[in-house]
Amino acid sequence: MSGVASLSRTVDDNAPYDVEEVRTDFPILSEKIYGKPLVFLDSAASAQKPRVVIEAMKNLYEHEYANVHRGLYWLSERATDRFEQARRTVAAHLNAAHDHEIVFTRNGTEAINLVAATWGRTFLKAGDEIVISELEHHANIVPWQMLRSEKGIVIKVAPITDEGELRMDAFRALLGPRTKLVAIAHMSNVLGTIFPVKEIVASAHAIGAKVLLDGCQAATHQRVDVQDIGCDFYAITGHKLYGPSGIGALWGREELLDAMPPYMGGGEMIDKVSFEKTTWAPLPHKFEAGTPAIVQAHGLAVALDYMNGLGLERIARHENDVLRYANERLGAIPGLRIIGTAPSKASVVSMLADFAHAHDIATVIDREGVAVRTGNHCAQPLMARLGVNATVRASIGLYNRRQDIDALAEALEKVRRVFG
Amino acid sequence: MANLEKFEEFVDNLSQLDDETRFEYILDLARKHRHDPFPASDMTPEHEMHGCQAKVWIVHEQRGDMHYFRGHSDAAIVNGLVTMMTDSFSGLTSREIAELSIDHVRKLNLGSLTMQRQVGMMAMLKYIKKLGLAQAA
Repeated sequence: MSGVASLSRTVDDNAPYDVEEVRTDFPILSEKIYGKPLVFLDSAASAQKPRVVIEAMKNLYEHEYANVHRGLYWLSERATDRFEQARRTVAAHLNAAHDHEIVFTRNGTEAINLVAATWGRTFLKAGDEIVISELEHHANIVPWQMLRSEKGIVIKVAPITDEGELRMDAFRALLGPRTKLVAIAHMSNVLGTIFPVKEIVASAHAIGAKVLLDGCQAATHQRVDVQDIGCDFYAITGHKLYGPSGIGALWGREELLDAMPPYMGGGEMIDKVSFEKTTWAPLPHKFEAGTPAIVQAHGLAVALDYMNGLGLERIARHENDVLRYANERLGAIPGLRIIGTAPSKASVVSMLADFAHAHDIATVIDREGVAVRTGNHCAQPLMARLGVNATVRASIGLYNRRQDIDALAEALEKVRRVFG
Repeated sequence: MANLEKFEEFVDNLSQLDDETRFEYILDLARKHRHDPFPASDMTPEHEMHGCQAKVWIVHEQRGDMHYFRGHSDAAIVNGLVTMMTDSFSGLTSREIAELSIDHVRKLNLGSLTMQRQVGMMAMLKYIKKLGLAQAA
């Protein structure tokens, strides 16, 4: 079955993998853009998909597809098995204590909104405080602002240093008797900083606050163990994990999820329905109204199997090697400044050039086949904090190699010739 | 019919260029600013058009019933596009401004420089119309 070929690669967990061989697993990487080989450096926005994921989804549609949790027939049971197996795979990937602590969502954004709309609405009242940080993605700012408008809660923002690290002293100073939740990124999508989440959790729990971690970036670059971290909620998205779009997951502690009301009403999430009274299905189905993203969930599980086949530690080591090279190579380009230099960072290089605007850079290097992200990266408050309007962000996935960084550096030299 | 001589000139010039030279042409338009710089004193929030990745300022001036625009961006390519728009639609009457539509942007055929940019141009046209029509109202 899909993913097995990759799993067989794990001969020696410590040896680096052959990135050229890995690249052949990703059909899109052999595409040509404007007649030039694609250099894809935008995996932090969305990662490319290995063939095993594409084929597994196609296979499910062609041979095993039906709605889940309903039909008493072979196909439906098969599809249900696939879907619930996907839940077990995600649970194992995050080391959740129970499979039913995994709630499938459309993406990380929906996972955070689910917590805001259910836990937040139920357990927060006017004057209660939520602490976020200056480097949050809009997905971990706006849901709390919506809750603030509705409930009168207070949002406090923990500052970062110029290097992009959380100022732990200032963060701790924001925690108080009214703090009910710390909602914070595990890893910054703009700067690559990895926050000291265990320390954050310890501080928050010491004053009785819950902790939600936005793990959409972190989970793609390192092993995540929610029990070891000790957080209360963890949000991930499938499309950054080499899986399809349209699937994400929320992990929550069983007792918290149990106490939360449903997110949406409809089929699948009920126990008994009458016009007088409806009771809810047990976890996790209480939070999964309507037909879920069945095939996408399976695709995500195959993608996680693929990553585990390569080895999460090996992926991290490989990406860190490319990141180190990127820092050296790009850092040596005169007039180019790397934004975000925290010692603990992964896979993201945000840049500003004094010779061209980020927008111009992206336009010119696109013509060289180099795909990077420019703009505010859905983090306008962070841009304001850094005093910049837009950055160029190159992000590294498990299939990137030093040559990709060379291609980017050469394309940047061309930008300098055009605009400098 | 509106006096769109300048606009038609842009359409004509662009239609004769391939993607690569079209790009050079737009950069040349941006360089025009080196001889006619946009004053820093006009780069104010009042003149800023929001919604672009790059910063864009457009200043509107009305003389009689004629509208004049000049603009600037901190990104060179956007600067060229701003120049194209402000030069194209300066010297029009209120009625002529009201008649401008996204078909004018489509006619420039900049979609080949990515759809995002064409969308940005449409936003710019909308902004120019807003400035012109607000003043006329």
